[in-house]
Amino acid sequence: MLLEVKDLNTYYGSSHALQGMNLQVDEGELVALLGRNGMGKSTTLKSIMGLVKPRSGSVKFRGVDITGLAPFKVARAGIGYVPEERRIFPTLTVFDNLMMGVKRGKMVTGDPDAWTLEKIYSHFPVLEKRRRQKGHTLSGGEQQMLAIARTLMGNPELLLVDEPTEGLAPLMVKEVRDMLADVHKAGVSTLFVEHNLKVAMSLAQRLYLMGKAHLAFTGTVEELDAQPEIREKYLEV
Amino acid sequence: MTKRMAKWVSWGFLCLVLLVFPRVFGIYYSNVFVAFAIFAVYSLTLNMLLGYTGLLSFGHAMFFGTGAYTTAIALDRISGMPLLPVVLAGFVASVVLALILCPIVVRVGGTAFAMLHLAFGQLMYVLALKLRFLTGGEDGVGGFPIPAFSIPGIISVDMTNPLNFFYFAIAVLGLSTWILWFFTKTPIGSIMIGIRDNPQRVEYMGFRVTHTKAIIYCLAAGFAGITGSIYALFQNLISAEDGYNIMVSFGPIMATIVGGVGSFSGPIFGSAIFSIIEELTSRYTERVELVMGLILIGVILYAPMGFMGVMGLLKQRWLAARKVKLEGAK
Repeated sequence: MLLEVKDLNTYYGSSHALQGMNLQVDEGELVALLGRNGMGKSTTLKSIMGLVKPRSGSVKFRGVDITGLAPFKVARAGIGYVPEERRIFPTLTVFDNLMMGVKRGKMVTGDPDAWTLEKIYSHFPVLEKRRRQKGHTLSGGEQQMLAIARTLMGNPELLLVDEPTEGLAPLMVKEVRDMLADVHKAGVSTLFVEHNLKVAMSLAQRLYLMGKAHLAFTGTVEELDAQPEIREKYLEV
Repeated sequence: MTKRMAKWVSWGFLCLVLLVFPRVFGIYYSNVFVAFAIFAVYSLTLNMLLGYTGLLSFGHAMFFGTGAYTTAIALDRISGMPLLPVVLAGFVASVVLALILCPIVVRVGGTAFAMLHLAFGQLMYVLALKLRFLTGGEDGVGGFPIPAFSIPGIISVDMTNPLNFFYFAIAVLGLSTWILWFFTKTPIGSIMIGIRDNPQRVEYMGFRVTHTKAIIYCLAAGFAGITGSIYALFQNLISAEDGYNIMVSFGPIMATIVGGVGSFSGPIFGSAIFSIIEELTSRYTERVELVMGLILIGVILYAPMGFMGVMGLLKQRWLAARKVKLEGAK
């Protein structure tokens, strides 16, 4: 197992934001974390990354306990994180943004499967076209593409993506969706948080559905499809 | 002419101008230029923190002063000290001071960083006044011998000659500028900007923000020490007022804001603007700071992007107008 989250409890002050969260991601899997706003989806990713410290429970990556480690240690362990709102570096060029993703500034050499600039450009040609442009001049979809590509430059074993299609135009949603599918096809295990059910259902192999601060459903897309009452209770407005 | 060639030609022209400057403008203006160059490079070191890393320091003078005092005391107390090692000593002393402060200051940012530096800067000011046996108190350290620039058996150049000192100061400050510029072009230069934009984002990309900040901090301190060292040699005197006074900390902040925060050459233009204004206004009034303050208010209100930002805006407008004109001609 690649990632194992067990009985995770996270607080924001006195607010119990994650209540005994359990989650697993296997090698090569594409897993979606769904739920309405404020259910704790982003908090789950942030707790895994060490951006908020859980009070109890454990996060194991490849069997090693990484609970509450500093974010840079979690990143170095092999987990890449793409935060919500496409947080690129706006004043750096596309090229510099990508180079920032290279872990400790050292490019991986000798591994044919490693993500390099050439591989990124061949998967996402628009980034090559815009490589000299400043990050803030890119469209929303391109910024999201850059944020994901930048994380891939660190050659993560597991990619955590928070709300990749949030605030994007429908055409861009499709592009980002295809990009995630492409990244998964390239062999990167991914856990993503998504509010767009259509995108999540079309991509994910397994789903986790969150109710208020806890897990409400675990299963495949087909299993969720077969239980409309769950969808109605936890997803539909 | 290719872009690269044009760049080399302009650098060559600049070197030629600097070479003939003292002969064309005389010693007085050469000294004005050295004072400007010291202030400009000192401002560049502050911009490494403020413009590139987003760390506002109200106590940058402590590194300038430490470099200056180290050079002055070394020359005053140790006979036969060669020139380059005393400049290097200014660098090392400031780096050591930065290393001592690092464990505290790299963990904070924003107001806390600024205020901690204000406190440490004032502490150094008071120490310079109180440790009379070392610093000479209010009198400072002055009249120390200025060693010749010598490479044994090859060359020995008298540095008490203002013309020779001009070339020496410009060479050291020019080299410092190049090293600082080069640093901004390395991957760590991008990380600096990343830390300025969002330190947390840099952290989850696998970089240890505190360590990176420490490297940048020590580098900025070290080169501020070199400018202090050159200043002490230039004036043949250093006192608490010239080395650690709060205005020595605020001066480069003003130059950086006026020149353009975040742009590498902004502080150089800011320093040039202030040097010219100081030179001109001091002929008519003693209230130079009043004029500078008014300029700063004007810049903050009407051109917060500074000189370089305004230039960039004008360039963009000119390019857009040219494009429209060319399309119209078609």
